[in-house]
Amino acid sequence: MYLALLELKAARGRFLLMGCVVLLVAALVGIVSGFTTGLGDDTVSALRRLPATHLAFSPDAKSDQFARSLVPADTLTGWQQRPGVRATPLGVAITRGTTDRHTEVDLAAFGVEPGSFLDPGAAEGQRLGGEDQLVISRKLADEGVAIGDTLTVDRLGIALKVTGITDRASYGHVPAGYTTLGTWQRIRFTTPGAKTPAAELPQQYSAIALRAASAADLAAADRELGTRTVALTDAYAAAPGYTGERVTMTSIQFFLYLIAPLVVGAFFGVWTVQRQPELALLRAMGASRRRLLGHTLAQAAAVVLGGTLAGAALASAVGLLVGAEVPFSLPASTLTTTMGAVALAALAGAALTLRRVATADPMTMLGAGR
Amino acid sequence: MTSLTLRGITVSLGHGDARTPVLRNVDAACRPGVLTALVGPSGSGKSTLLAVAGALLRPDSGQVLLGGTDLAALGDGERARARRERIGYMFQSGNLLGGLTAVEQLLAAASVAGRPAGRLRAAAEAALTEVGLGHRLRHRADRLSGGERQRVALARALFLEPELLLIDEPTAAVDREQAGALTELIARTATARGCAALVATHDPVVVDAAGATISM
Ligand SMILES: Nc1ncnc2c1ncn2[C@@H]1O[C@H](COP(=O)(O)OP(=O)(O)OP(=O)(O)O)[C@@H](O)[C@H]1O
Ligand SMILES: [Mg+2]
Repeated sequence: MYLALLELKAARGRFLLMGCVVLLVAALVGIVSGFTTGLGDDTVSALRRLPATHLAFSPDAKSDQFARSLVPADTLTGWQQRPGVRATPLGVAITRGTTDRHTEVDLAAFGVEPGSFLDPGAAEGQRLGGEDQLVISRKLADEGVAIGDTLTVDRLGIALKVTGITDRASYGHVPAGYTTLGTWQRIRFTTPGAKTPAAELPQQYSAIALRAASAADLAAADRELGTRTVALTDAYAAAPGYTGERVTMTSIQFFLYLIAPLVVGAFFGVWTVQRQPELALLRAMGASRRRLLGHTLAQAAAVVLGGTLAGAALASAVGLLVGAEVPFSLPASTLTTTMGAVALAALAGAALTLRRVATADPMTMLGAGR
Repeated sequence: MTSLTLRGITVSLGHGDARTPVLRNVDAACRPGVLTALVGPSGSGKSTLLAVAGALLRPDSGQVLLGGTDLAALGDGERARARRERIGYMFQSGNLLGGLTAVEQLLAAASVAGRPAGRLRAAAEAALTEVGLGHRLRHRADRLSGGERQRVALARALFLEPELLLIDEPTAAVDREQAGALTELIARTATARGCAALVATHDPVVVDAAGATISM
């Protein structure tokens, strides 16, 4: 490997340049994947946290179900009577509110039945106990809402007492808060600006959360009860912006994974062609093909690994810098897998040029032609 | 001490219609400790014969005996091994690795031969000093003159104490004064090392300095 090091040192300018390109690609992949996870969390973490296997929506809602779907109470009863299925209603509404200490916040109000399997409990303070109470996600606490505050829903005038704080959860980039279904129905169905609350609110929910042992009987129940049931993970697509964000971020990553091997391959391709006289000389001096392949690969690995490590560091640094302001999440496991994938893709690019290393012809050393 | 014996070497080069016979049934011998000149008109096959002796080219038929081994009978891998462990080769041109210093040229050869190159730096410096390049140790290949490059190549060819030293037209690209000094250096070092040494040349200066001559 001494020879490989000598060559690395002799061509350090080039290898450094190449390392920088790998660094930038790796950092970009890391940053994009941090945003993919971060934005994804910001959009659906409240859904992901629901301990349900499926959600039943009304059949007319084919997209944006959480905003469009309304399921009546008798359908809920029908679901609750199905054997092998546990069912509890769920309300979802995005709104805005102001606390009595003048903190203005966006709020994704999740209506749940206290004590049901959807009840998030409380990590701090009191769990959801009755009407007009609110258990907030940690994110709202970070934004300045505290236990004991009264949060008034803008334009509806509904006052909610903050009783507890639960883990970080948000929906459509809006932090979640949990209320009773009655309170949720008031938020959802009250006309803005109405002087007096409506006498009777519709007994409807956004969806029915299900826990089903097997998906087998769900289709039959759908037919009988007139609902459209989807797996919880498939319901993520109904969150505002989720699909668009996914497609954007995934296609950026996809292209980066294509670019990495091509750029590295092109570099090593040019490098190997330029090095043909040296390779021929080394072969003439008795270096075996295996040896030359090995040391070319070692050089590629040094550049690629050095570049990826530095890129990983850069991506993490960016995460630390912006993580508080924007949704960015790059856990060590994600960082490791993405950086591993970048390194592999880049090494694959380098490997494309190995044939030229192996075919360097020592006979070209003869004569005066060089 | 090892001698080189070539017996019945026949070589054709090129492919298909372009295939031309270059060497026909050539015999030659090269004793250790003697600089042997290989002379003959241009195109007579001197470089080709060196390549055969240097295990770069496998003859169509014939034997290349270095010590007890027939290099012509070895496979690719074994011939590469013979090149890195037993043979020092100074080509007519293009001997040096771009970007590496004079010392590193020698260390690269050591590395190729599987020697602990990192510990041979002092030896490499001594070898370069011996060929009169003590003041050019850290010069990169492209900063050396043609004559200096040939000296580095000679130092490298001899660095690992080869049994066989092969040199192709050492004086072709240097001026007369350099040619004399270089020839004297080659003759002196080759003889001192006691290895078999074969030099292909047109140059009467080299032929005069040689202890034996083979005509093609
Ligand atoms: N790859 C090849 N294909 C066909 N013919 C070749 C090839 N290489 C060399 N030859 C021919 O082989 C003959 C011998 O070449 P070689 O280089 O050994 O001669 P030489 O004696 O070293 O000549 P010079 O004194 O000019 O260096 C030449 O006629 C040359 O044209
Ligand atoms: Mg020649």
